[in-house]
Order: sequence, then C-alpha cells, then structure tokens
Amino acid sequence: MVRYLRMFRAFAATEFQFEMEYRGNFYLSIFEMFLVIGTSIGAVLIMFGHTTTMNGWTLPEMIVLLGVYYLIQGGVNLVFSPSFERLMEHVRVGTLDFHLLKPVNVQFLVSTRHLRVVRAADLLLGLVVVIVGLLQVGAQIGVAQSLLFALSLFFGVMLVYSLLLGLVTLSFWFVRVENLLAIFWAFTEAGRFPVDVYPLWLRVSLSTIVPIGIAVTAPANAIAGRMDAVGVALLGAGTVLAVGIASALWRRGLRSYTGASA
Amino acid sequence: MIRIYRQLLVAQIQAAAQYRIQALLWMLFSIIRPVIFLAAWTAVSTAQGGSVGGYTTSDFAAYYIALTIVGHLTTAWNSFEFEFEVRQGRLSPKLLRPLHPLHYSVVENLIWKVTTFLPLMLVCLVIALTFQVRWSGEWWHLALFVPSIVLAAALSFMIGWVVATATFWLQRINTVNTLLQRTSFIFAGQIAPLSLMPAALQVISYSLPFAYILAIPAEILRGGVTLERGLLYLVGQAVWLGLSIVAFRFAWRAGLREYSAVGA
Repeated sequence: MVRYLRMFRAFAATEFQFEMEYRGNFYLSIFEMFLVIGTSIGAVLIMFGHTTTMNGWTLPEMIVLLGVYYLIQGGVNLVFSPSFERLMEHVRVGTLDFHLLKPVNVQFLVSTRHLRVVRAADLLLGLVVVIVGLLQVGAQIGVAQSLLFALSLFFGVMLVYSLLLGLVTLSFWFVRVENLLAIFWAFTEAGRFPVDVYPLWLRVSLSTIVPIGIAVTAPANAIAGRMDAVGVALLGAGTVLAVGIASALWRRGLRSYTGASA
Repeated sequence: MIRIYRQLLVAQIQAAAQYRIQALLWMLFSIIRPVIFLAAWTAVSTAQGGSVGGYTTSDFAAYYIALTIVGHLTTAWNSFEFEFEVRQGRLSPKLLRPLHPLHYSVVENLIWKVTTFLPLMLVCLVIALTFQVRWSGEWWHLALFVPSIVLAAALSFMIGWVVATATFWLQRINTVNTLLQRTSFIFAGQIAPLSLMPAALQVISYSLPFAYILAIPAEILRGGVTLERGLLYLVGQAVWLGLSIVAFRFAWRAGLREYSAVGA
C-alpha cells in the first residue's frame, strides 16, 4: 500500500514538472475553470430568480450540488481520464507491452499513471463552491454528516471510475472507443441538476448506465442531512460491486490483448 | 462552382457513410443540454404552479425542443478542427489547392446535418411525448423559420471560422473556444428563454450575436414572436452575418501572412 502511494507521488511529481513547462497554458486552464464554474452558478441564480425551490431543492442546496459536481469531475479529470486516454492509445499502438512488463498491478498503473495536474484547481474551486453553499444553508453540519459526505463523495468518484474503466476496457475488442467516452462526457453534464428532476427514461440511463447522477446527488444529499448512514452504506456496497465488475472485465479484456507484434 | 460543389457533396457523402455510428453519437451533444435544462425548468414551473413569467410547462417543452433542433442545425466545429489542422501541418497542402478551405467544411457541415436530421427528429419526438409539448405557432412562423435557420447556421459557421483564424496568432485556442462557449451558454438562451433573463442580461443578449444563432430561431419556430418582431430578428441576423463575413475575410488575409511568416 505504502509502495503504491509512493509510486503515485512520483507520478504526480513528474506530471507536475511536465505541466509547468507550459506555464501559460496552465494559468489559462485555471482561468477557463473560473469561467465555467462562474457561468454555471450564474445559470442556477437565473433559474432561482423565478422560484425558491426546484423539486424540493433550495438555492443553497443547489450550489452545494454544483460544487459536488465539479469536485467529482475534477477528481475524475485529475487522474483517471488522462490515464485512460493514454491507455487507449497504448492499446491501439501496442505499447501497453511496456506497462505489462512492470512489476506492479497493471490496473493501478494504467488508472493513475498520468495526471492532469491543473485539474487539482477544479477540486479546490469545487470545494469552495460547496463551502459557500453550506454557509448559505446555514444548518449545523455535524461530524457524522461530514463523514457521510466524504464517504459518499469517495464512492461517487469510484463509481464513475468503474464505469470509465469498463468503457476503456472495451478498447481491447473494439480498438476505437473514444466515441463512447464522448457520449459519457456528454451525459455527465446532466449531473449539474439533482437526478430527481429528470424524466424516468433519462433517470434510468443516468443512474444505471452513467452513474454520474447518483455520484453527484448522493453527497449533496448526505451533507444536507437527507441521506442517512444506511443510504451511504448501500451506495458503498453498490460501488464495491461496480468496481468489482469493472475489474473483472478489465482482467478479461487484458487476456484478449495481443500486443504490438501480434 | 455548382459543379465543384456537386463533386464535393458526392465525395463527402461517401466519406460520411463510413462513420455512421460516429455521426449519430456526436448528435447526442446537440440533444443533452437542452433536455437537461428543459427538465430543470419543468421542475421550476411545477413548483410555481404551472407557469413562469408567461411560459407554461408546455411552452418550455416547445422552446427547448425547438432549441434542440436549432442547436443541431447551427452546429459548427471548425474552431476546434482548424487548430488541429494547423498544428499537424495539414493546412498547408489545403492552401495549395485552388479552392478555399472553407468550401470543404461547408460541405462536411451540410452532409453531417442532413444525415443526422432524421434520427434527431425521432429523438425530439420521444422528448415531445415525455414532456407535454404544445406548439402555439401560425403557418407564417414556419415560413419565417426557414430563412432564420439558414441565417443562423451561416452565422454560427462564420463565427466558428473567425475564431479558427485566431490559431494563426495563438497556436492553441482552447481558451478562446471556452470563452465563446460559456458566453453563448449564458447569452444565447440556453439557460432560459431570453424573456426570463434579468433585464440587464437581456440587453447584452440582444447585442451579442449568440442569441441570433440559438434563442431567436428557436423562439420563431416555437411560435413565440409577432410577425414584425420576427422580421426585425431576421434583419439582426443578416447584419451579424454580414459583419462576421467581413471579419473573416479580414482576419483570414492577415492571418495567412502570419502563418507563412512562421515558416510552417
């Protein structure tokens, strides 16, 4: 475990140095993020200019939800999506061989090897948005609630991770799956509103095929005190199951990998 | 010119036929955002007892379905593709051809829209059935919509090209694209129909080109404008289109000099 943490630190350090070579781009990315989050909050404010509640969600609660949305996106974009992009490339070109030869868990390596360090700023901004929202909610946040929030946030990220891993694993059979990922990103946008505002057919596709809806709504519910320990435990069980299935699929896919020379 | 276009069309249809699934997948991008906001506004409208600022729940449905169709028909991706072509050095051979690169992308753009239109309408039908939609237009709304959507598509395409020329100076234009997309997100009527925006934002919306691409054709298709207003909007669209063409010609000529100066 310690070994893997140390390895992850090494990955992060390398990628940070790499990113700092393009300093101008780095600052522009942060500027873009301010723009995106600012306009998203603007959208929510405009809608709440006409109402005080949306399906039982108040404005401060919606702000919290938006913050969680960017936290989850930030987490996934920080580590998993850059790593998976490279993985697909490796599978197509055949350079995955080099990863397979290393004496570490391959799934860990391909999931975490590449980071887009600048996305850590998303995490920070997302957190700020959550805190601002919570201050507006004004309710007392107990230790138990914070714990449930952190747990469900972690489960949410892992839920999205397992889905991404499953999608990327398909590249062993289909070689070109970028388009599937494009669909995934298109659907993630739905996470900006609570999952319960969507009509049934969309909710089913959001919550099962693309669990982003659950991933975002659950933590926001947990911190607002609308989700108890049992709910979080169920979410955890679901996440463990999802990660298990995705890992099994990954190992199955790896067996179909034929390498560069084949 | 017509003969050239006929040849280009045939070639592009053949090229597009290879990537049918891909074309359908990209169509999802046109659909998802309007549906998300439609769902949200339906929730708001329900909370307010069935109507918000003159829009009933079914008006919202009509507006956002119209917006889906308009958004799809005005899609332009040159600002993304052009940067890639410049960076990869693929622009240079295109410049050697006697035909301006713009014409190739006109054809690509048209073919994609034509081939994905039917599936898009099917999806819109499903959405229309899910949300109780009510169309409140007259026949002349449809007649007005035809020139309006053509102008909007041309305007969106030309703005895409103006932004694309920024590549000549900046190399990476991610930030410019994001800036533009987010401005359009706020001011083009994606968040809300324009009349539901705060007054100050409405003024900005009507003075920027983005609403003339999305919100205005959508309002016309929905049947939400009077005839005089509709005609006025058409004039606005035409003015913006003219401006964008002038801007493009100017930027292209200046940019091309810059491009050869780098020695690419």
